[in-house]
This record gives sequence, C-alpha cells and structure tokens, in this order.
Amino acid sequence: MPVWQRILEDINDPNFVIISAAEDTGGEAVAGPIFDAAKPTYVQVVDENHIISSAFHFVNVPSAAWVDEQGRIVRIDEGTYAKTHEIGEGDQKFQFGTDVYAPAVKDWAAKGAASEYVQPPAAVTDNIRELSADQQRADAAFRLGNLFRYHGRKEKAERYWDMAQSLNPDSINFVRQNLTLSDEGSAGETFRKMVGDYAKQGKDYYRPLDLK
Amino acid sequence: MAYPELRYPFEETPIHAEGQTTVLYQGNTIRLEETGSGEGLLIRPEDLPLVNGFELKPEGACYQDMCIPLNDRFFIERDGRQWFDLKAFADLIEQPCVADEEDRVWSFGEIPAKRESMMVDAMAPDFEVTDRQGNVVRMSDFKGKKALVVTWSSW
Repeated sequence: MPVWQRILEDINDPNFVIISAAEDTGGEAVAGPIFDAAKPTYVQVVDENHIISSAFHFVNVPSAAWVDEQGRIVRIDEGTYAKTHEIGEGDQKFQFGTDVYAPAVKDWAAKGAASEYVQPPAAVTDNIRELSADQQRADAAFRLGNLFRYHGRKEKAERYWDMAQSLNPDSINFVRQNLTLSDEGSAGETFRKMVGDYAKQGKDYYRPLDLK
Repeated sequence: MAYPELRYPFEETPIHAEGQTTVLYQGNTIRLEETGSGEGLLIRPEDLPLVNGFELKPEGACYQDMCIPLNDRFFIERDGRQWFDLKAFADLIEQPCVADEEDRVWSFGEIPAKRESMMVDAMAPDFEVTDRQGNVVRMSDFKGKKALVVTWSSW
C-alpha cells in the first residue's frame, strides 16, 4: 500500500485518482491497519462483500482496471503488483510481483490515450472475463453468507459460502477469503495445493501481464 | 494470513424485525416492511426503486435510459392489494438470485443489462461502495479523471 501512495505522489496530478479496495470480509479489523500504515490520500474502501471485484469480473487480488476520463476501461484484470516483493529466507525465499506495472501506470497518467499501454476497446473487452449464469449467482450466494455471518448464523454462513465457491470455482478470491478466516490461513496447505493444481492444469493464477 | 477469530466474531442477532424481508443488492441491505404472502417475492410496487433502482412507468420498469416492458403477470393481486413480483422480474432480466426463504432473505446478483456496456464497449461499471470515511463512492464520481481501481486483500 505505501508503494501505491508513492506512485500517486510521483504522478502528482489532481486528475489522476487511485481507488483502492480491500477485498476483506474480515473488514476494518484486518484491512484498516494496512491502509493506515500507508498514510494514504487515495480513496480507501474496505469491500467486505467484494463488490468491486464483482463489478469488474475479477477473480483474484491484486487486480486492477484503468478507467479513462470518459469512463472507458483502457486496461483490465492483470496481476497488479506495484513492485517486486521478496519474502522468506534462505531456501524458502521467493519473489512475486513485478517492477514493470508501476512505470506503465505513470506513463498512462502522463500521456493518457497516447500511452503505449492503453489498449483499444476490443482488446479490453477480450480481457474481461465472461461469467456464466452460475458464476454470477455466486456473488449473490457469497453476500448471503456474509449477512448470516454478521448475524452470528454459522451454519447458514458456511452453507452459502460453500455455495459461492461451488458456483464459481474460478474465484480464487472466494477460496482464499474463506481460508483467511480459518486456522490454516490463506497461504497454508490448501492454498499450496490449489496453486500446484493450477500449475499441473496449465491454468494461470493471474492472466499473464502483457507489459514489457 | 489467518484470522480464525474473525470468522464468527458476532453474536447471534435477528436479521430483521418480525414480518420484514431483507433484500441484498450491490452491497446494500434493504429491509422491506411489507411483502405479499406466499411463495416468491412480492413487493410493494413503490419499493422497486429502493431494491434495484428501477421505477415503474407506463412504458415498463425503467432504469436510466433502459425500459423493460411488463405485462399483467408481474402485478399480483393478493390479500386485497396489488404487489409486484420481483422474482419474476429478476427471471425476466436474467438477474441471478439466491434466496433463503426460511429467513426471508433474498440476495440478488448484478443485472446483466447493466453490464452490457462494459462487455461490449469497455465502459466501466458504475459500482457504489462506501469508503473508510463513510462517503459513498461511485465510479461515475470520477468522470473527467483517470482512475486506477485496484483490489487487494490482507490475505
């Protein structure tokens, strides 16, 4: 999050905004301190019901859409890391993220439609995921589960969260959100198995970043 | 990340008052004081804008420049009153729905027609959320600016 704040400050243009949405059913308790540590001046949303992911058909985080002055999307749905991250130590050390995305954002902020990173509408619509009727129903089931959670209704919360995952098995958001609120956590055995299955099946965990 | 203590931090509380019905749509929780008896979801016609932004007009159910013609089957006479059949309307416009009829909660997904301009012309969808300061934030608020919409999570 501090990286996005620095990018916003580097761009320093009142006509460029960042809307940052934490897709966290855990709410302010988990997302708030992370936001606060960044001392952000951009728009901060704790999106407990994953409204923004749903609106743009995102299935994973981090993801992003670039929206121009006319309200048209000019890039969408990429693994949106602001920099390369390194975690772990020794043999366990690994990297994720990229250093090419942030310069592309800055280029777009400066040049607008003339930026080489702006995609034509046909390329953008090709990159928007088509959702089946079941996948669209999954969002409704997820929010129903969330409502029951807020009201302490465990059995029904579990029932509708399970329904959401079975209706939209492509949603990494639903799987990891659920794991986050478990003892195992979001990066445990289930997550590692899922990533391994993706690799075996040749599926992309993120859509490949089409940036040089 | 693991936050098992946050899975169920809330005490059991009623979802709504006796006799009410709850509708979830686009992150909003709408409590309906009155609904028609029996199966399905029969709402007062005047509650339709509250639920999904559509208004009933002579030409049909209208949202912005879109109007869906309706026939008599959407207007149900029951208990001496006229109701609007919201489930039938959702089916007509292919709006996904998951209902927990036992607790009288209906959760609606997005209306496909509202997403058509995104799928065809790459126009950004006009979501509505509340920011950490309590302000309502809509995509349309940022017309005239470049906006980077980023999702992330603690996990």
